[in-house]
Parts: sequence; structure tokens; C-alpha cells
Amino acid sequence: MFSAELKKGSTEMLLLSLLESRPRHGYEIGKLIESRSGGRLTFALPTLYPTLLRLENRGWIKGRWVEKAGERERCFYRLTRDGRRVLAQQRRTWREYVDAVNDVMGIDVTTASRA
Amino acid sequence: MRDWQSFVRARLSLPDLVAGREARIVRELAVQLEDFYREARAGGQSEAEADAFARRQIGDWERLARDLRTADAVHVRPALDRASDRYIPRHGTEPGVISMLVHMLNDARYGLRQLARTPGFTAVALLTLALGIGASTAIFSVVNGVLLRPLPYPEPDALVRVHEIVPQYGQFSVAPANLLDWRQQNTVFEHIAGFNGDRATYIGDSGPVMLTGASVSWDMFDLLRVSPALGRSFRAEEDAPGKNTVIVISHGFWQRVFGQDPSVLGRAITLSGVPVTIVGVMPAGFVFPSSNLDYWRPIALDPANATRGGHFLGVVARMKPGITLDQARAEMKTIAERLAVQYPKNSANESAEVRSLHAEIVGGIRPALLTLLGAVAVVILIACANVANLLLVRASVREREIAVRTALGAGRGRLVRQMLAESLVLSLAGGALGVALAYAAIPAIHSLSAGSIPRVANVALDVRVLGFALGISVLTGILFGLAPAWQASRTVVGAVLKEGGRSAAAGGGRWVRNTLLVGEVALSIVLLVGAVLLLRSFVKVTNVDPGFRPERVLAFRVALPNASFREDHQRVAFFDRLLDGLQRIPGASAAAMIQSLPIRNDYVLSFSIQGRPEPKPGDEPSANHRVVSPDYFKALGIRLLRGRTFTPRDLEKSPMVAVIDEAFAARHFPGEEPLGRGLDIGNGSDGFYEIVGVVGNVNYGGLERAPSPTMYVPFKQDVFSSMWMLVSTDGDPSKLSAPARQALLEVDRSLPAFSMTTLATVVDESVAQRRFSMLLLTTFAAVALFLAAVGLYGVVGYTVSQRTQEIGVRMAIGAQRADVLRMVLGGGMKLSAIGLAIGLVAAVSLARMATTMLFGVQPFDPASYAATASVLLTVSLLACYLPARRAMLVDPVVAMRQE
Repeated sequence: MFSAELKKGSTEMLLLSLLESRPRHGYEIGKLIESRSGGRLTFALPTLYPTLLRLENRGWIKGRWVEKAGERERCFYRLTRDGRRVLAQQRRTWREYVDAVNDVMGIDVTTASRA
Repeated sequence: MRDWQSFVRARLSLPDLVAGREARIVRELAVQLEDFYREARAGGQSEAEADAFARRQIGDWERLARDLRTADAVHVRPALDRASDRYIPRHGTEPGVISMLVHMLNDARYGLRQLARTPGFTAVALLTLALGIGASTAIFSVVNGVLLRPLPYPEPDALVRVHEIVPQYGQFSVAPANLLDWRQQNTVFEHIAGFNGDRATYIGDSGPVMLTGASVSWDMFDLLRVSPALGRSFRAEEDAPGKNTVIVISHGFWQRVFGQDPSVLGRAITLSGVPVTIVGVMPAGFVFPSSNLDYWRPIALDPANATRGGHFLGVVARMKPGITLDQARAEMKTIAERLAVQYPKNSANESAEVRSLHAEIVGGIRPALLTLLGAVAVVILIACANVANLLLVRASVREREIAVRTALGAGRGRLVRQMLAESLVLSLAGGALGVALAYAAIPAIHSLSAGSIPRVANVALDVRVLGFALGISVLTGILFGLAPAWQASRTVVGAVLKEGGRSAAAGGGRWVRNTLLVGEVALSIVLLVGAVLLLRSFVKVTNVDPGFRPERVLAFRVALPNASFREDHQRVAFFDRLLDGLQRIPGASAAAMIQSLPIRNDYVLSFSIQGRPEPKPGDEPSANHRVVSPDYFKALGIRLLRGRTFTPRDLEKSPMVAVIDEAFAARHFPGEEPLGRGLDIGNGSDGFYEIVGVVGNVNYGGLERAPSPTMYVPFKQDVFSSMWMLVSTDGDPSKLSAPARQALLEVDRSLPAFSMTTLATVVDESVAQRRFSMLLLTTFAAVALFLAAVGLYGVVGYTVSQRTQEIGVRMAIGAQRADVLRMVLGGGMKLSAIGLAIGLVAAVSLARMATTMLFGVQPFDPASYAATASVLLTVSLLACYLPARRAMLVDPVVAMRQE
């Protein structure tokens, strides 16, 4: 659907934003991206998991093994204080970037979304 | 449903990540794959379909592994650590020996990782081991080269020296007539041969030089089983007076003088004016009877005219196969005692003794080397105790890890093996460093011991020394690894896990640590006492007043060939002119000569005193006999006590006069007036020398021997052909050597000045071996003291870190800093005081064995012991003070908040 190149730049930001509201486990994150994008965005496990590791190693998210009632033990990732700061920064940058690209390409946001 | 964890583990390999990381990743991927599987099943797919669906989620495992490694780069192990993987298969399922080996290698790898994790500990432990193993390897290389390596002759065990036993002097050189009889009568030797030192003047391109060689029985080379590299050895018929005009030259001489020209065989050269023919060249490295000889010639004993009273030959022999040393000894004793009965005039009560050639050469140095070997063994023990202590401290820090591993099912044997593997990795690395240290030390050993230790040129790092280093490394690894391994195996799992890392076993650990420390201190005390005793002995020896002033005196030898100086008056004239020339050298304050140099040589003659009853043959008194020029006493600063010394007017034909020393006067004229008395020196044919003076004692036999009675006579009344020339100066005596050679050339162009040295050097060389032992033992004692201090510091420091909380509480309830300081210092100093006490007791009992190495110091010298104790206490105080200061500065609030 979208090329890998295109997706690459936004994967980290997507993961961070999905963890903003509450901790989630890896499988859940993958499923959420798929459902929220209406099936247009999918990240296979081999892409998703190394990214989670990288984010954790940077200290932006923190994984913790939790056993919830009636479920198997899973690693839940939550956003750290650093991660929250990075996410806010990335949101801002993304918005500015998209606006700039739109302006350059002459896309009216209102028309585009309607089409 | 399949086991997803094993599914992932079988496909994903992340060997570069630190321990635990791979497991975590495998676990999470497995959980997620299982989620996919469950999702598919929930969506109504069959088990097989769901399984296939989950498996499809990861297509390229290798790429995933690469991506994971990149993403997890912060958890990649250090390169050094990873390098060890290459030698270790990952999964040891092989049976038997292979599996054991794999386990061992795995343990070693684990050990390596543990060491890399604590670089401070590792550095201290490695330094300790490198010092210990390095010191022992260096000393062992000396022991190996000097004592253990076989002599450089084929089947060297059959080689022996044969000596005569003379009633008055004990072991003695052999009389030629006796050697000739031994040759004929013995049945135990394949060969028995005599040798004697030899010298000859050779006039080469750069003027006359003195060659040193040996005259030997014709079959000497056959006896030693070494053939010339070029040409032949001697023939039986050449070993006869008048026929012995052939020589075999050494490889060094061949190289130096003939540029290795193979056509040297058959060439005629002139030695001391006598033409000889070169018939052979010995191989490089051939040594007999001493090193650096230039030539050998047949000794040519004359059976018809051999003396039985003059003893001057060395004798070696090769025992027949199957003959033991005891058999040879018994037969030679029988033969010699039979000859003694047969020739009572010259050989009364004489006997013979046989010793192995090897023992003969290295026997003298053996005790000193073995003492040093003992000393390094002590250093090694201290190093072991030190590292064991460090490991114990670390083991107690790691108690939790060990407890967890035990809880996870690691058996005790497995744990012990692991701890041992760790200490072996450590000791082998330390051993490698130690070998490097020893390698660096060998040139120093060579230069320090040159001339004072036989065969020291053989000292090198050979296979045997490396094997020794390896063995000692493994041994120390096991030795110092045992304590922590034992402690690890005793860890009480529940207690440790519950207490959050501080266990009941810590009490037992402290006991072991303290015991090791006390042992360390005690051992280093023993070494320190030994070193101080040797040091004080050395100072005493070098402070001995030799009775003359060796500073600023040049010495060299001149030997007149009999061929050109047949008559006494020729010799007298020569030496008169030479002394005159030397006297004129600018800067020379006096020139003199003597036939036998102080410190180095003994030359003893019997005598009788005029007017006293004739002593029985064999019972004549004897004394040092010195032939000197008039200025001898002035040049060497020997005090005149009574009467006069010699003057230029004491001539060949004037009345014979002698000067004696104090020791002679005290021994032979107690309470009497020696001046004016007559001495008959030698065999009574010369008449009596009148004693005209008494001078101070001189240590002719070396600094360590009390001066023995000495009588001097003027050179002109007892002419020798070989003399030591002495030139004193106010400046640097070595600067006089060129003018001295020139002065000799001006008197005779064909004579070399040889053995050029200074008297200070002669005195210095006489204490070289003592200095060697003293310096080495002092070095080892310093290393031992250093190691003990490090050990003390480590143990006290660890205690402080363990008691930080307690110290905080104490200070919170009112303890002063001084109290804390006193508490910590007291704890450490108590240990070192106990070690000191034990060490002193041990030193007292061991010092008795060192008596032979001491000089002027009693083995129980209180000053030495007091000095040692104070050095140790000072160092201990310092080692305890550093951690105590840290304890003193503990902030009670911070300390109590810990936990």
C-alpha cells in the first residue's frame, strides 16, 4: 500500500502516540495501527518489534512483564517522561512538515480530504 | 499448540548480546506469535492453518536477527568478551570428554565475562599474580639454567671430579705422580684426565695479548665426548714433554684472530716465543674447564720425573657404564690410601675424593638459589592469599547471584567448577603477565650476577621455565580459587534471598578472610626479616676494613716467559725498570707490585722460627706468603706498626729481611718481641729471614674471612716471574691503564699487560654473589610487603563498606569521628599485629637455617627484628588509615538512608 520508505519515517512516532494514553503490549500495538488506519497501515512483527527495542533502549518507552488476570504474562510498554517530551516534539514537527509539503504541492487540505 | 519459545529459539541467534537479553527477546517474540496463533484460532481456523499463519509472521529470521542486533546495540557485549565465543561451541551435547571440555570452556567464558565486568578487581588481582608468578619464574629460570640444565657434554652424569684429600688442607689439587698412578690402577673410569690453567703471550696485529688456555691430558676431549668442529684432537704420543707442540683452539679465538679461516689447520703460531701448530678448532659453545678460553695444549706430564709433593692438577674422569658414584669413590679412596702408604715421604695420610662434576660446579651457589626459590614460594603464597581474599570479598558481593543460580538448579559441583574456572582464567592471565615480567628481568639477572654465579649464561626462558610458569599459574589458580569456591558451595540460598543480599555466610567469610590476611602478614614478616638480616650482613661485609685502601689503585698482571727471562737478575732488572716507568706516569702517586692480589688469592707457605724446636713433618706452621716491592705498603696504605718496611737497599745479596703482620705476631710471638727474630720460609734451604717490621693486618682471603697471619719478603730476595703491578693515584685509577700499558711497552714490546682492573673492582666483585642474593631477597620482601599491604587495605576497606550503615548509626547516636577512626584502625591493626607475632616466631625458627648466609649479624639480631616490625606496622597503619579515613567521613544521614 504505502512504500516501506514512506512508512519508515513515521513508525516511531506512531508507536509513541499509541502508548500515550496507556501501556500496551506488542501484539496490541500492531493490531491498533492496522485497525485505526482502516487496514491501510500494517507493520509486520519483524518491523515493529526491533523498533520497540530501539525506543526502549533510548529510554522513551519502558517495557515491563505483567500477568493480568486470566491472561498470559506479556510485556507491556509505557511511555516514559522523556518519551512524552519526544512525542510532543515529533507531533509538532510532523504537523509543520505536512503543512509545508502540502503548501509546496498545492494541495488544499479541505479538498484533499473530501476526495 | 506448539511451544513457541523453542520455535523462536531454534531460529533466532543473538550471540553478541549480553547475557539475558536474548532470552528476553525470544520470550517476547514467542508471546506475540502465540497471539497471532490465538487470533487465527479465534477466527475459526484449524490448528494447522493457525500455526501456519503465526509462522508466516516472521519470514526472514536472519534479517530479523540483524535488525534486532542493530536496535539493541547498547546491549552488545564488548568485543574482547565476544572473541572468546569463537572457541566455544554453543550447545554442548557431545558425550564424555568433549562435553566436559565444552563445559570447561563455557565456564572459562563465563569467568572472562565476570572479570571484564569488574575491571578494578581484575587489575589488582592480575598485578598481584603477575608479581608473584613473575618473581618465581625469574628465579626458577636461574635455578633451571644453573642447577637443573645438564652440563653441555654428552652423558654428563658419568662425569666426575677427583680430588686429593691432604691432612692439613682437606680437599686439594692432585699431584702429577698420583694422577699417573690413578690412571694405571683404577678400574672404574673409562678415562681419567688432568688439566691445569695455562697462559701464553701471542703477538697479534694489535700488539702482544695474553691468551688464556688450559693444558690437558691428550684424551680430555674424548673423555668429555666433544670432538673438534674442525681438524682433530690430540694423539697419545703428543702428550709427552717436547712433543706437545700442537694446540687446539677455541671457536672464539678462531673467529677473533683468524676470521674463521678453515685453512688455519696446520698453521704454525708462536705462543710465548715457542712455535706450535694448530691441529683443531673446538665447536662454538664448548667450555672446559672454564669459559672464554683461547686454546688447549697437551699437558705432557713426564712419568720419569713427575712430582708427588706438588699439588696443582685438576682431575676429571668419566665413569664406565654401570659404575656408581659410590663405587668410584670407594675405589679411588682405596687406591689413594695405598699410594699414601707406599710414598710416606710426600703423601703420608693422603686420600682421594670423587664428586659429580655438576655438583662441583654449582655446589657453592646451590644454597643461595634454593633460599631464593623458597623466598619466591612465599611471595607466591602471599599473592594467592591476596587474590583469594579479593575473590572472597567479591564472592560475598555476588552471593545473591550465586543464590539465584542455586535456586535455579545449579548444582554445588557446578558452582565450584565455575568459581574455579574463573580463578584459573585469572591466574593464567596473571601468569602470562608474569612471564613477560620475568622475560624483562632476565637481562638484569645476567648483569647482576655476572662473574659471581657459574653457568649464569644458561639462564633463559626455555620450555621448562615456561612449563613451570604454566604449572605455577594453574596451581595458584586452584589454590586461591578454593576458598571462594568452598564458600560459594556453602551459601544458604533462602537466607541470602530473604536478606536482600547480606547473608549469614558473611560471618564465616570474614573468618576465612582474616585468617588469610594474618597468614599473609606472617609470611611477609619472614621474608622481611630474612631481607633485613642479609642487608645488614651486606653492610657489615662492605664496611669491613680490609687493612688497605683499595680506592684509586690500578692493578694488572705481567708474566715473564721463562724462555727469555731465564735468570733472576733478568727478572729483577725488568721489574725495576717497569716500576720506574709506572712511577713516572703523570698522576701516579706510587707504583708497587705483589705476586698475589689481596682479597682474591691465597698463597700459603710453611715456615719455622729460628731457635724453636723443629716441628714434626706435616706439623709445620704455615702462613700467607707475600713477595712485594718496597713501595707496596705505601701504595696500599698499609699501616706500619713497628720497625721498618722494605727499602730499595734490600737487595738480592744483602741480608734477608721479612715483615710480618699483627696477626702473625699475635699467633707466633705472643708477649714476645718479634723484631730481630729469624724465619725460615719454605723448605729450609734458604736460611733465615730477619723480621724487621710489623704492619697492620690485610684481608688477603676476602672480606668475610678474618685476616690470617702473613709474612712479607722483598721481591729481590724471592723472585717470581709473574707479578701484579699496582699503581696508586689521587684521581680515577682507570685513567692510568693506557699510560701503564705504554710504560710496559717501553720496557718490553713483546709483553702484554693483562687482567687490568682496579682494586676497588676486586673488592666489589668479591661481594657480588652476596649482593645478588641480598638484592633479590630485598626485592621479594618489598613485593611481599606491598602485597600484604594491598591485602590489608582491601579487607579493611571492604569491612568499612559493609559497615557503613552501622558507622552511620554510631555517629548518629554520638560517636565522634576519632572513635570511628580508632575502631576501624584497631580492627585492621589487630590483624596485622597477630600476623606480626606469628611471623616473628616463624622467622626466629627459620633464621637459624640462614646462618651460613649471614655475616657479623646474629640470626636473632634484635635490631633487625625491631626494624622489620616497625616497617610492617608503619605500612599496616597506612593501609588501614586510608579506608578508616573514608569511614570517618561517613555522613550519618546518608548512611542510614541506604538499604
